[in-house]
Amino acid sequence: MKTPSLLGLLLKLLRKPGTLASAAKFAEHFPVAEVSTRAARGRAAVFPLTELEEFGKALLGAPIYQTALPRYDTLDKILVIPPLYTPLRLKKMEELMREPVFSDVETGCSFGGFRSTMPVSVASMGSTPVWNKVSLAVAKAAAETGIPMGVGENVATVWGYSKRVKPSQPCFKERVMTYLENLKGPYGGVFIQQSVEDAYDELWNRVYSDPDITPYIEEGKVGFEIKLGQGAKPGLGGETIVDRETALRLSQKYSFDTDPGKVVKQLYERHSAPGTFTPEILRSMIRLMHNNYPRARVWVKMGPYRDLEKVAELCEAEKADLLWVDGKEGGTGLSPVTALKDLGLPLIACLGKILKLKQRLRLDFIGSGRLVDGGDIVKVLCLGCSAAGLGRAFVVAAYSGGVLGVKNYLETLKVEIQLLTSAVGKYSVSDLGPEDIAATDPALARELGIPSVYV
Amino acid sequence: MMVRVPVEELEKYYKTVRTEKTAIVLKVQALASRAVRDWLDNHGFLELLPPIIGPVTDPGIRGAKQVSIDYYGREYKIMSSAILYKQMLATALGKIYFFSPNIRLEPLEAATTGRHLVEFVQIDIEEAYADYNKAMSTAEQLLSHTVNTVAREAAPLLDKLGRKLPRFNPPFKRITHAEAVEILRQHGENVNPLAEIPWPQEEKLSRIMGEPFFLTDYPRGARGFYDREDPNRPGILKDFDLMFPEGYGEAASGAEREYEYSKVLARLRESGENPAKYGWYLEMLREGISPTAGFGIGVERLTRYLCGLQAVWEARPYPKVPGVYSP
Repeated sequence: MKTPSLLGLLLKLLRKPGTLASAAKFAEHFPVAEVSTRAARGRAAVFPLTELEEFGKALLGAPIYQTALPRYDTLDKILVIPPLYTPLRLKKMEELMREPVFSDVETGCSFGGFRSTMPVSVASMGSTPVWNKVSLAVAKAAAETGIPMGVGENVATVWGYSKRVKPSQPCFKERVMTYLENLKGPYGGVFIQQSVEDAYDELWNRVYSDPDITPYIEEGKVGFEIKLGQGAKPGLGGETIVDRETALRLSQKYSFDTDPGKVVKQLYERHSAPGTFTPEILRSMIRLMHNNYPRARVWVKMGPYRDLEKVAELCEAEKADLLWVDGKEGGTGLSPVTALKDLGLPLIACLGKILKLKQRLRLDFIGSGRLVDGGDIVKVLCLGCSAAGLGRAFVVAAYSGGVLGVKNYLETLKVEIQLLTSAVGKYSVSDLGPEDIAATDPALARELGIPSVYV
Repeated sequence: MMVRVPVEELEKYYKTVRTEKTAIVLKVQALASRAVRDWLDNHGFLELLPPIIGPVTDPGIRGAKQVSIDYYGREYKIMSSAILYKQMLATALGKIYFFSPNIRLEPLEAATTGRHLVEFVQIDIEEAYADYNKAMSTAEQLLSHTVNTVAREAAPLLDKLGRKLPRFNPPFKRITHAEAVEILRQHGENVNPLAEIPWPQEEKLSRIMGEPFFLTDYPRGARGFYDREDPNRPGILKDFDLMFPEGYGEAASGAEREYEYSKVLARLRESGENPAKYGWYLEMLREGISPTAGFGIGVERLTRYLCGLQAVWEARPYPKVPGVYSP
């Protein structure tokens, strides 16, 4: 499978004035180099000895990623804290008849009605060209690894359902079928979003009645994801920029900053609506999904809204299979600066709410928002989620090394999850809990209901 | 019960259509259509020509997909049901009906139910200032007249098919959706109380009841946005299905309509759609229309029942079964 190289992407960015700054900014806000190294070197990147170093000669310490203090609390304020006494390790030893090691940690799990080889899911990423271009590499790698994958909104409407509208951009069905056809065994599942604009073309009905997809629906490998917003722009609709040709084609279905039929310019802002919700509307929506698509999983994805608890309660009552909560650090193709800066709850605040909700609700959660390594994932699991959602990291990994890059990257995550889980004396990711982490800030610990490193 | 997908019979339909059985079925169908028209015309209903294409149609139900066509550069839909036109036509003309051709690209699983066709004809009936009790009364009288007329006049034809029709005596029994869920539970079938009853269980219910009956008061979320929510019982819709006896399933489906602008707007969101798509319809509601109620009877399903056929594809010329390429 051909994928554009990371170098190619950087060169493209460099050719365009102004984009150098945005590339630098992306690298500043997202650890591109780290993910890229993982994609290139796979599990070797987990143990960071360079070619010049050998074990015993290198001097390694805690990496200091942060160049500036974050403006709000992040997962960096939480550490995974192992105990010395580990009764579950003893139990594992009885089972294995030898001392357990980190690779004995079982990462296989179930969430949202799908089985997965590890507690990780590819987030629903939509039609943004930079992502869509490498989406097939990620689909193949995710399927071969056996983790669920989302297909974001607007893909079918913008890039075509089963035929490419632009030679360089995969269409909707290519993304779905590349994933489904590469699945092996009982693992994985694809979940598909539908924006109000996709609803115009009845995307879900089309998928549900598509003969190529039907066998997978019967296997329980297909879900639909109701999108209630995203981390980077809660309360706002999809925003993106498209060229004139695309704008003209889509002018019936989306609203643009100016009418592409009347005003000629190079690029147009394409806006889509955030959608209007009340508890009644959401309740009926989930019921309608169960009614119309009885054999599909129903996932709900929300942004970092202040009424997270109420939404979760409703999702549980209506038997949604999973609630995905995207923290404000979540990635996006385009978001107004003001939203990135000032809109929405940080992921850690969402996770604090989820941890409390898990005490009384039987509902699977996924947390997402700038998660990069195994440590991030373990923290999310300790805070009540069944899995962690990642998006941008897969884009970077795919540009760095195509399918293999993404698989390498996933392997680094798996090894790190196993390392940290075994460190706290546990051998299944489902055993992780708030007792395994502590906050470096006593006030934060109190608010989250987890231990403080000082107590 | 799963029925076989009739690939051979459909691909070589020129052979199927020349069988004696098909000829009998189509004659019974013509007779039934005439009986329907007689009854409706005698009861003050006006027959209209059905609209077939438009900017929107009934949002798909149970996962069926609509068909789009290019209409001078804009996208139009072929009616999956002409429901959205019925309200205004009844407001303007009182009591109306049409024989409306509908297209629904049903999911492949529907090929083996014996009850689904991609192309079918629905007798659409709508009445102004009627509630759903009135609509049910119309439906049971109309259906009884039709079945009894066919039983009487087509007896020799039905004999050749080995079909004995019972006499229909309205009023029919009425049970609520919640009661149906409970009856099924007592017979060992657990169904979702918040959704439409799945096809196999619906068939079972029809056998348990043993006579034609109405299934009423569906939960909100189980049906389209145009079925009216009972203002006194939030979450319950004032709608119904009329079921054939003998396990033949649904004969008609109807409701009192939601006709208030703000309610329809909120209900439209349930399907995740942009209300802007229904602009002309919403504008009409905002101007104000009469409360109406009505229902639709599938002609092929009616024929299937009358003739005692295993599958609905046998009940029309050149049938289109989901997923089968045939002339």
